[in-house]
Amino acid sequence: MNTLIPGLVHTPVTPFTDDLKIDYACLEKLLEFHLRSGAQAIATPMHVAESVSLSDVEQRAHFDFVMKQVNGRVPVLAHVSDAATGVAASRADYAQSKGARAIICTTPYYWTPPAAMVHEHFAQVAKAAKIAFYVFYTPAEMSGTKLNTDLMLQLVNSSSNFAGLIDASMDWQFMINIISNVQRTRPEFQLLSGNEYMVSAGAVGAKSMLTPMAAIAPQLIKDFFSVCRTEKYFEARKMQEDIASLYQLLKHHGFASLKAAMHIMGRDCGIARPPLDPLSPESFNRLEKSLHGLSFLNREVKGW
Amino acid sequence: MTQMFKGVMQSPVTPLKDDFSPDPKTFEKLLDFHVRTGATAISWPHHKGESLNLTIDERKSLAEVAVKSVAKRVPVSIHVSALSVEDSVDLAKHAQQIGADAIIAITPYFWSPSMEGIFKHYVRLGQSVDIPMIAYNSPSYLEGIEFNGELITRLLEKLPNLIALKEASFNSEKFVEISRAALKVRPDFAIVAGVEFLAPSVPLGCVGSYSSAGGISPNLCTQLFDACMKGESEKARQLQFKLAQLWDLFRDQYPSSLKGGMVIMGRPVGPTRAPLPTATPERQAFIAQQLEELGILDTEPHGW
Repeated sequence: MNTLIPGLVHTPVTPFTDDLKIDYACLEKLLEFHLRSGAQAIATPMHVAESVSLSDVEQRAHFDFVMKQVNGRVPVLAHVSDAATGVAASRADYAQSKGARAIICTTPYYWTPPAAMVHEHFAQVAKAAKIAFYVFYTPAEMSGTKLNTDLMLQLVNSSSNFAGLIDASMDWQFMINIISNVQRTRPEFQLLSGNEYMVSAGAVGAKSMLTPMAAIAPQLIKDFFSVCRTEKYFEARKMQEDIASLYQLLKHHGFASLKAAMHIMGRDCGIARPPLDPLSPESFNRLEKSLHGLSFLNREVKGW
Repeated sequence: MTQMFKGVMQSPVTPLKDDFSPDPKTFEKLLDFHVRTGATAISWPHHKGESLNLTIDERKSLAEVAVKSVAKRVPVSIHVSALSVEDSVDLAKHAQQIGADAIIAITPYFWSPSMEGIFKHYVRLGQSVDIPMIAYNSPSYLEGIEFNGELITRLLEKLPNLIALKEASFNSEKFVEISRAALKVRPDFAIVAGVEFLAPSVPLGCVGSYSSAGGISPNLCTQLFDACMKGESEKARQLQFKLAQLWDLFRDQYPSSLKGGMVIMGRPVGPTRAPLPTATPERQAFIAQQLEELGILDTEPHGW
């Protein structure tokens, strides 16, 4: 039985040098920053860490580095998703051997397999590692394959280490359906919010939250999560709206804006790898101006 | 301005005789049942009331029954959406003429109008009457056609009688964006959930719901709303899960199964018009079993 409740899970970006190699010196600083800033667990390399732009060799080397740097101070959850079931399973096995506390896996990239094969994909990855296994549902990024309660129940039956669902759909109907039905079979089954929209997710039972934006506003995120965990959701509403305004700002400027915003906050991690474009100078200036307009960022630390 | 539409509001089904003609006598009994069991407002005919399966004359005639029968005990809004916008305008004017308290309208059917087209649609409807208007956002049924922060802002700046939104995206990100934008323009604007997804929405500022299950379990609906408003998270969650099970039971061929369930509860409201099926005796037996397992038969009123 899984006893891990990850709590506030920071999801660091992958810093790159000017020649777009992984910048390990910067990654060291970044991990220390996250650990100092309230991370109760680290999940890596998530999409926000450009996992899909890292080779398999790089992903493993990156994971080795994270494990050594974190050195058991908080649990590390390994994101192992791939198009190929075998590759994802192999990565899960590797992560477990290096001390990961849990495995995270999305639906397969590119393919849109039938439901039975989506189940098979998850079941094989879960089987490759005996540690807690979380399915990551992010339909806005993986539009081809939908998950549903039946699939989750099948996975409960086939995989004793299937610990929960990380939801980035933000869909109340979906979340309620999954958690209320699956917990009848596996009471310890967890719902984790896959982003910072925690008020609604918490209200329907999420106890953990993955947060890319802790790299920008760690104090706000920490305070917000703390209030949500005490279930004082009315109190959390203003913070939720502030966080939503930052979320929408970054969404408006595109994926590369997270690293650009980190640069503006004095935590430069380079730019995103191709095929993603960095922000144009005009777009960067607009982002900077908009960030300065968010008064709640004034209390956030600048630099490392 | 005090919010007129909040709390657990009921949108009754449309009772039909065995020959599928409207049954105004049973409709009167149903309206009275809803008012007696705690409805804070009545809104008819939503899709649950088979709005699109009624002729315009039938809609007008039963709207008159609704207004007369409720007799100002609670506010009555009339859903005026029709395939043809001309019919919608006609229904809106009729609603005002018979003394309805408001009209409610969804985004246009079938066509996929631009945001400008949706804006003009609501401006035309809103300006066709002097009574308040409620907009209705349901992207899951009208795929891709939905409200966003910019649209609600423009509409609120243009239409003083736009007082509320029935928000049925069931999505945290969308709800927060619409809410942030709307309340900035008009702090007393009411955002109401479609179906009873109250646990995830009340903490974000939702002030009530248009009930799906009120014809079956009005007590449960009221208990959920009260728990949400009091911030009783655990209680709200368990009640929400129970209502979600009911929603799963009834959403299939909605409202056919709902009408089938009302037979079990001693409040028969007749068949469902084609192209929707009528719940068969076998389906009714299944519903009866589910209602018993959920404890509804012991905790909710039986008969009128």
